[in-house]
Amino acid sequence: MSKFYNHDRQSIYFPGSIQPHGILLALEESKLAIVQASVNTEAYLEIPYQNLLGQQIETLLEAQQLKAIHSCLSKDFSGVNSLKLSIRTQKGDRPFNALLYRLPGVVVLELEPLYLQHQESLFSVSAAVKQAIAQWQQVSTYREFLQSVAEEIHNLTEFDRVVVYQFDAQKAGEVIAEAKREDLPSYLGLHYPASDIPEPVRQLHQRGILRFIPNLKAAAVNLLPEINPVTEQPLDLSLAMLRSVDPCCVEYHQNMGVAAIMVISLVKDRTLWGLIACHHQTPKFVSYEIREACELLGQFVMAELASKVDREEQSYIAKLQSLQSEFLQSISQAEDLKSALVNPAPRLLDLVSAQGAAVCLEDEITLVGATPTFEQLRNLINWADTQLSNSLFYTDSLPKLYPEALAFKDVASGLLLLQISKVRRYYILWFRPEVLQTINWAGDPNTFVTVADGGTLSLSPRKSFEKWQETVRFTSLPWKGCELDQALNLKSAIVGIVIHKADELARINRELERSNQELDSFAYAASHDLKEPLRGIHNYSTLLLKGYESVLDDMGKYRLHTLIRLTRRMESLIDVLLKFSRLGQTQLHLVPTDLNQLVSRVIEDLRVSRQQQVEPIIRIPRSLPTVNCDAVLVTEVFTNLLSNALKYNDKAEQWIEIGYLDAQETESYQSSAPIIFYVRDNGIGIQKRHLEIIFRLFKRLHEQHLYGGGTGAGLTITKKIIEYHGGRIWVESTPSVGSTFYFTLST
Amino acid sequence: MKTKHNNPLLVAEDSDEDFEVLQLLMQQMHVRNPIYRCTNGDKVLDFLYKKGDYENLTTAPRPCVILLDLNLPGTDGRDVLEQLKQDQELKEIPIVVFTTSSDPKDVEFCYQKGANGYLIKPVDSSELEKTVQAFVEYWLEVNVTPSANLAN
Repeated sequence: MSKFYNHDRQSIYFPGSIQPHGILLALEESKLAIVQASVNTEAYLEIPYQNLLGQQIETLLEAQQLKAIHSCLSKDFSGVNSLKLSIRTQKGDRPFNALLYRLPGVVVLELEPLYLQHQESLFSVSAAVKQAIAQWQQVSTYREFLQSVAEEIHNLTEFDRVVVYQFDAQKAGEVIAEAKREDLPSYLGLHYPASDIPEPVRQLHQRGILRFIPNLKAAAVNLLPEINPVTEQPLDLSLAMLRSVDPCCVEYHQNMGVAAIMVISLVKDRTLWGLIACHHQTPKFVSYEIREACELLGQFVMAELASKVDREEQSYIAKLQSLQSEFLQSISQAEDLKSALVNPAPRLLDLVSAQGAAVCLEDEITLVGATPTFEQLRNLINWADTQLSNSLFYTDSLPKLYPEALAFKDVASGLLLLQISKVRRYYILWFRPEVLQTINWAGDPNTFVTVADGGTLSLSPRKSFEKWQETVRFTSLPWKGCELDQALNLKSAIVGIVIHKADELARINRELERSNQELDSFAYAASHDLKEPLRGIHNYSTLLLKGYESVLDDMGKYRLHTLIRLTRRMESLIDVLLKFSRLGQTQLHLVPTDLNQLVSRVIEDLRVSRQQQVEPIIRIPRSLPTVNCDAVLVTEVFTNLLSNALKYNDKAEQWIEIGYLDAQETESYQSSAPIIFYVRDNGIGIQKRHLEIIFRLFKRLHEQHLYGGGTGAGLTITKKIIEYHGGRIWVESTPSVGSTFYFTLST
Repeated sequence: MKTKHNNPLLVAEDSDEDFEVLQLLMQQMHVRNPIYRCTNGDKVLDFLYKKGDYENLTTAPRPCVILLDLNLPGTDGRDVLEQLKQDQELKEIPIVVFTTSSDPKDVEFCYQKGANGYLIKPVDSSELEKTVQAFVEYWLEVNVTPSANLAN
């Protein structure tokens, strides 16, 4: 509408005219002399307005009435005073309802004739008010309540249509209750953009002033003189009940086929919560008493509404809180966070009244309800991550902030993102669809009558609806404070539980560390002590063999030799145990180590110690890298792996290959992946079912006398060293073809 | 009783020394049953399934009882026990575990899997003698097994 009309305060508050169903007199403050008058005074007072100008008000009033006015003025009142006045006219005294209020330097007196029949109906008005209030107190939900409000106001005022509007945060209105003549189309569910009510008018509504226009077509009555001689400007009519009607308002309502309106403000906490609008298709006068009653009812509605809305809000919050505690319970009991969050799925949505949600734990995304795609989500999270404040980001118009969201506005015009952990990429996202997708229609908005006189189609409910659509496009229902609170509560619950679990883990770790240490020192001490009797057995057997050689027969000598062999074997087992336990107690000395040098030393040592049959071919396809490791321990690793490769080979031509894999061979997309080394042979291989157990302490796959014996600890020690470096070891093998041992030295 | 002296005994034992001692003790007790020895778990399975080295029937007769060491190289005694007790036909051969392990977990595991007896190898030689004596008297002399009847 602002395209067509000027909606500044000036034109609305200072129209210089009033509606014709009463008169207005502006009085100079000190002597109460009339300085401005509406030009229709003759119709009510039998005195032409020109004759009134310059007159003191007392010429119109009895002394008692004058006293009443003076007493009003002396109270230093700031609001509007309502009183009944009887005014002397040539045709006798006439009763009026008067409004008296003060503007800077000026006192305004508005008079509306009091008709006798209205006075007679006074009793029924108060009865109707009582009945309405009694009725309202019986309904519980605020929707029912507002419906009842519309109906009672409809009964009381007998307007064709009474609707209750509620304004949202953007000041757009929705018809949430309606009572009407049966033959009229319903407006229920219709939305109106904020611009339908010009801001200056909205401010008047906000002050709680009831607006009454009995006949929109009635010609306005001018105030003369135009300029108030006291203030030297046009009179401020913002408080005037008779204020004339803005032309755009006239056109807007005429296009709806409305001839008379009355609007009651619903104000909560000094903001305009909504309006009760009454429409009539023909001019309609409503008595002052009924209007007063309506004003009163409006205030009662707000008082009652606040408690009903609060009660509903409270029960909503209570519902959210009970969901929250359910969550707490299942999170603390569940093994993994994801299933605790998404099972059952509706609970996650209900927590903030969303239609879709996504739980993102690092790269694992779980979707619930209506959501964007995985790809869209990943981009969205990356973007939203930069918008976070206090681990929360929320908007009810995502596409306006993040144009990519246009593609999925139907499911996610509203976004609430909760960051659970900064260190790990843990998020929960909730989505709300575009409001347009959620509107419930009570009838087709296209069927509304559009009066096209003057060719102006722009001012009609239908046009308004289109306009409203513009304003809510790409917008979801707003996130309520209590819903945001719930999201944050959920985060602290999760964090609390995670911290608790981390503490628990740390405790278990400390305990494990302690028991490991005890075990290591136990093994170390035990191994030492085991050696002592063993030395005895060995020495005494040797003494027997030497000192009693002549006495012993061959069987006796054979058994003593066996005894000595067994003591040696036992000693080597104890040595391995010692070495193994010592490994757990040493510190790693990480130094950059050239593996080429290290490996060639190992090979040299093995050659020396193994003067035997087949000389294996040792292949090193390319130069080995220099890595940060404990050189002594890694020497042990290569010694074990190479000596195994040498031992477990029965081929005529034996070979061993030492190398490392290229990045693309490692099947890993991370550039920082550790180097994977390998030792490959063409030996006897390992059966699949034994691939795991070969790393077990003292586990051997073959009998003592085969493949040069051994303690069965080499690979256990190798594995321990590698894991000590933060790496891992595994094996691939084909029996009788060969084995490949892979390992890394860091994670 | 005498008829039972032909029933073969299968011993799964990797230690040459342990097997030698066992043989000596059985000689002292006049055990005449043929004694077969496998040095690892895979060989026990091959023996019973007549595979690998034991394809020839006569070198691998069905034993009337198996004396099974737990810690064998490669496939160990626990796996052998588990596998044999799941075999419809072989599960009726009694298996007596003969091990140095006194770990209650091992005892429970073996009985869970269907072991027919669990004997611990004592370090003391006279204790060892008693244990072997008990085994011989019960499993080789008194006890009746389906495989023993079958062998007849």
